[in-house]
Amino acid sequence: MSPRRAITLVARREIRERLRSKVFIGATILMLVLVAGSTALGGALSKTPTYRFGVMAPAPPGLATALERAAKPFDDAKVRLQVVTSAAAGRQALRDEKVDALLLLPQSRLLFRSNVDAKAAAVADTAVRSLRRHLPPAPELTAGTLEPAKSNTTDAAVLTAMLGASVLLGAIAVYGQWVLTGIVEEKSNRVVELILSTVRSRHLLAGKVIGIGLVGLAQLALIGGLAAVLLAAGAFDAPTSLGGSVALIVPWFALGFALYAVAYAAAGALASRAQDANSAGGPITYTLIAVYFIGYVALTADKNGLLANLLTVFPLSAPLVLPARSALVGVPLWEHVLAVLLVLATIYALVRFAGRIYTQGLLRGGPRLGLRTAWRLSRQP
Amino acid sequence: MQALDGCSFAVERGRMLGFLGPNGAGKTTTMRLVFGLVEPEAGEALWDGRPIGLKERLRFGYMPEERGLYPRMPVGEQLAYFACLHGMQERAARAATVDWLARLGLAERADAKLEELSHGNQQRVQLAASLLHEPELLVLDEPFAGLDPVAVHTLAEVLRGEAARGAAVLFSSHQLELVENICEEVAIIDHGRIVATGDLDELRRRSQRRRIELQLDGGPPGWFPHVRGVELAERHNGDLHLLADRDVDPEQVLADAEGSGRVLAFSYGPPTLSELFLELVGS
Repeated sequence: MSPRRAITLVARREIRERLRSKVFIGATILMLVLVAGSTALGGALSKTPTYRFGVMAPAPPGLATALERAAKPFDDAKVRLQVVTSAAAGRQALRDEKVDALLLLPQSRLLFRSNVDAKAAAVADTAVRSLRRHLPPAPELTAGTLEPAKSNTTDAAVLTAMLGASVLLGAIAVYGQWVLTGIVEEKSNRVVELILSTVRSRHLLAGKVIGIGLVGLAQLALIGGLAAVLLAAGAFDAPTSLGGSVALIVPWFALGFALYAVAYAAAGALASRAQDANSAGGPITYTLIAVYFIGYVALTADKNGLLANLLTVFPLSAPLVLPARSALVGVPLWEHVLAVLLVLATIYALVRFAGRIYTQGLLRGGPRLGLRTAWRLSRQP
Repeated sequence: MQALDGCSFAVERGRMLGFLGPNGAGKTTTMRLVFGLVEPEAGEALWDGRPIGLKERLRFGYMPEERGLYPRMPVGEQLAYFACLHGMQERAARAATVDWLARLGLAERADAKLEELSHGNQQRVQLAASLLHEPELLVLDEPFAGLDPVAVHTLAEVLRGEAARGAAVLFSSHQLELVENICEEVAIIDHGRIVATGDLDELRRRSQRRRIELQLDGGPPGWFPHVRGVELAERHNGDLHLLADRDVDPEQVLADAEGSGRVLAFSYGPPTLSELFLELVGS
């Protein structure tokens, strides 16, 4: 039997088993409902944003009404007007986040804290224009910021990007744990003896990882597809860069999953009983989480810093950090290439290493096998 | 740790070999060795004179000691999967599955999950998994353990059928009377060494012991023949079951018995497999 046939058979069985599982079907439906629900909820909440404007006393009569009228076309936005005694007090209110924008009517200026909100600016512009009975085209107000504008990304953008990375983290950990649990089950009910008398252990390993990986990918695609449809339908606002990083999530899920699933598989082979399945995967899950948080800290501190750059190409962190970072700032092509090459090399090394441990672990009953023992045994002729 | 040492025996196509030995003698290790599940430090398992590799193993059938199938996988799908793993195409695998499930009386349970079946039926599925691909060599580790008499009969018939088809059948068992009934050949292993192997009748004839059964009426209680080299194996009222050295003359025993009472029955012959086993393996 060709390796390809063996791998296909094993992978197909894994896929069938997952699709048969009520837990899997239920979880998929639940996630679809959650995605649809959260967009609906997000849509419902974002329907009525409130713009808080500050204006210096005395406020021109009719300004509040004009602002409200101007805000109407913008998702029925609400407007709250706060009158301040002086420009200094207004700036202080802006700094204290009591208001979102400060109208300095004598100077025809609109001052934001650090980033210009285009919608709020448009609302204020329309309102002031109508008060002054001016017509377009020249902008009535000059928008500016109190503090120097931050780079084109904000903490919120980092958060969004890392949210995407956390989806990857969750997917890799969940599907990786599936691989591990499946292997522990095969080992504990001894079905593995029957399989290994016909299939090489590395083909069994490959078939498992590929089968479960495909199921995971399909599940992600289904959920991501729904999100994309909702996105296209304008159900919620999303940064324009999101499209590109969503596209990166798919190949990086595949790479990251392959990398970690092999490690999960080795851990599964070393565990002895089904009850050990959870604790056996612990070290790998902790590694994933640690890498995620280090990545988060690094990106928050400096998106182009040394640490962020290192984490982009370091094999264990690349699957999580690279898509996130490329959503925030451009990652040069060579870093993409280097990261992919390093991950592929690591997968190769890990498959060779785990493959040996896998065979030893699977065929040896009794107490849990230490990593070192398994390695030593695998080197014996 | 050394489990096997000087373990050499053979099983031919169309023959059935009973693989016997006390617990821990190395039976399971030997069988696992055939399937590459343990690596020998020295020596090898050969098939048609060539070392056994994965390609050869596809034409073998194996029923491990610790039964193992997927508990939550439907029976039919599961069997077809194992048939495919042995190199069969899907269509043929499905046909063989239907065929064997019918032969084992499980036709209606094809869509049931394995764990929903009774223990005995799970055992049948396990057997089917080793047979679907018409193996050239069938290796079964304790296939009769835990079976009821009807199931024992069915399994014995199946194994006879496999041997008749031309398969070499090797199975381990502790049920020596059963082995005596269905096997032409045995291999007896002790402490990792083969202590006897070959045609069962031949081995029995070559034994240093002979079995004497004697039914005596009216003899004194506790009567025992005064012949050197005879020992008592079992006594049940007037029925005596004796083991004698091969050079003991049975006529002497009979004459001694006739002098003590009325002999209702007397038989002399090679030992049973159980006696042979104890002779070879017993302390």
